[in-house]
Amino acid sequence: MARHDPLLPNAAIVARREYGDRIRSKLYRISTLILMALAVGVALTPIMLRYFDRARVDEIGVIAADEDLANATVATANGIMNIAPPGVDPKEWAPPYAIGWLHDRDLALTDLAAGRLDAIIEVERLPDGQLKITYRTNGPADGVKAQLAGFTALSVAILDWTSSLPPGSQLGTFRTPAFEQASLTGPIENGQVVDSVQVASRGFLGTVFIILMFITILIYGMWVATGVAAEKSSRVMELMISAASPRQLLVGKVIGIGGAGLTQYLAIALPVMLVLAYQDQIARAVLGAGGAGLPTGGLTIGLLAAYGLFFLLGFALFALIYAAVGSFVSRPDDLQTLSLPLSLVAMAGYLCALVVLLGSTGTFARLTSFIPPLSPFSMLARLMVSTVQPWELALSIGVLIGTIGLVAAATVRIYATGVLLYGQRPGIRAFIAAARRA
Amino acid sequence: MTLEIDRVTKRFGRTLALDELSFSVPRGRIFGFLGANGAGKTTTMRVCLGILHADAGQARWDGVATTDLPRRTFGYLPEERGLYPRMTVIDQLVYFARLYGEPAAAARTNARYWLERFRIPDYADRRAEELSKGNQQKVQFIAAILHGPDVLLMDEPFTGLDPVNLSLLRDAFVELRDSGRTIIFSTHQMEAAEALCESLAIVDHGRLVAGGTLRDLKRTSRARTVRLGIEGEILPTWLAGIDGVAAVRPAAGFTELELRAGTEPRDVLAAALARGAMVSHFEIAEPSLEAIFIELVGRSPDAEDEPVDPVDREDAA
Repeated sequence: MARHDPLLPNAAIVARREYGDRIRSKLYRISTLILMALAVGVALTPIMLRYFDRARVDEIGVIAADEDLANATVATANGIMNIAPPGVDPKEWAPPYAIGWLHDRDLALTDLAAGRLDAIIEVERLPDGQLKITYRTNGPADGVKAQLAGFTALSVAILDWTSSLPPGSQLGTFRTPAFEQASLTGPIENGQVVDSVQVASRGFLGTVFIILMFITILIYGMWVATGVAAEKSSRVMELMISAASPRQLLVGKVIGIGGAGLTQYLAIALPVMLVLAYQDQIARAVLGAGGAGLPTGGLTIGLLAAYGLFFLLGFALFALIYAAVGSFVSRPDDLQTLSLPLSLVAMAGYLCALVVLLGSTGTFARLTSFIPPLSPFSMLARLMVSTVQPWELALSIGVLIGTIGLVAAATVRIYATGVLLYGQRPGIRAFIAAARRA
Repeated sequence: MTLEIDRVTKRFGRTLALDELSFSVPRGRIFGFLGANGAGKTTTMRVCLGILHADAGQARWDGVATTDLPRRTFGYLPEERGLYPRMTVIDQLVYFARLYGEPAAAARTNARYWLERFRIPDYADRRAEELSKGNQQKVQFIAAILHGPDVLLMDEPFTGLDPVNLSLLRDAFVELRDSGRTIIFSTHQMEAAEALCESLAIVDHGRLVAGGTLRDLKRTSRARTVRLGIEGEILPTWLAGIDGVAAVRPAAGFTELELRAGTEPRDVLAAALARGAMVSHFEIAEPSLEAIFIELVGRSPDAEDEPVDPVDREDAA
């Protein structure tokens, strides 16, 4: 017969104390409020940027060899660059570009240099009849605007070519083609492939989620490590280890501090999620009808649940290791040194997820989504931007939970030994020896 | 009911912390556990509590291995004191009692009784960090007894206490003993041990050097104590120079001399008279506990033991 130390109620008593201790502290409350305000501010940034640019109209001048070519270029540029977003009434919509023909090339270039013009589309006819179209800007060209100018150039060239066809040729009116992007490995929602706009939106959200997960796991993990180290350095641990088992103490601490972290996370994330969920409506209210189409359309309950699940599992895994590290530390300096490798491991997970978000669907991306501790980051990223089979998701979660169980068993042993050791610099040998004995 | 330490051996790497240590403490006794630093006192207590596992041997209470008994059977006051600095006194007392399975309401009532008993009732709602070290120590003592354990293991409970608090703690020991608790405490303070202990064990290098009742130890000791009064001399320091005198302690009206084994009291008297001293008082007294300790261990209880393996020095302490 061995001493019966059931997890409950002691783990719950410890968790409650740890939770209360943190959420009652002024620092916790102030930092939560500051982070909440910051996060909401970041979520509203796209709307704010567009709000400040709402009255701005880009002045684009067209320089052309003759009037016909100039008029054709102005008309084509207007047709491509000043198109109202889908669902917006063109009558209520203010075009963002003012495009006109400029007769004096030198004056136009002077105005561009002085900032009175935002860009120039210069159309020249070469001796062999070919058109040469140059998009001139003062400083680096904006990618989207340059792309639109490229479309304009191609369209002007096609129109110019069609005008050279023999008289009487029967041609329909030229219409700008509808362009769409589709991927075979794109995410599927309710049996339908998610469209490219939503995939782009999910890429943006995925980056936000992965950064959030990385930062919160590191911060809350350090809370666990410093909590254990503080109990040890204040020697209250000596009383604790006789009152409760290492397993009860460890689980209680991880749940209590994790709960405090989750509370802070929810306090920050809920307002942000509300802003993101209603971003279109907020944008329409602030910017008018033209405010629609911001990049958060791909957010679903399933993705939010996946984020919550992988955050919790990832935190549990890292928090256990942080607790083991904290139990071996006698000085705060050692905690900084010892936690560095853990930060690097989390950083590796974060980088793997970024690779996935940038479009990698190869073996590397798939493999990292099954290997803890990289998998919480990598699998979440895959779920955001590509197709994940149900068995893959189940395997990833299963391996992660199994690993947490193994790490927990080793951590309890390390913790039980570590909290009694004082005055020595902890190293990898000490960890292994502690995991073996106890 | 008896607490039995039965041939317990514990090794930390190359260091043998406990070497087949055996002794027993009957229920309702105050038992002194004496030894220099590093002798194995803390390790023995940790083995009893199940914090450390013995390599061989067993600690038993009422015939059952202590590691199989509920945690609430034991109360532990560690040598390394600590409380949660930002938590109020009453909250942490209730917290510790709840971990031992006490209902919160009962723990709160009990905690207030003991705070009153230790003359710190007004500190109940103060943070621990606001208390003096002595008062923190009293709170830790209360934390160790609040759940009503059968066996109390107290590691250096008197260290750092002023005479008033020392007296309060001794009274509490007696009260707990009278209510049937078994108290085992380690100490360097031989006077405290002599005043409180009914029986004791002296350990050195993890081995039992001597054990039994205080009376038996004194009876069997070869250490001799002589009280010598010299007319006209308050501090006759020259007494320390007499052959066979191990230690000299001034007292009111006389000087107490601890004699080395083999030295007879009459030899000391003869030496004093031969020096021309006017002897006004001569008494052969029972040896003090400190004298017995020095006789058995070969050094003072305050002396450091040999250094132990640095990797595990805290465990072996």
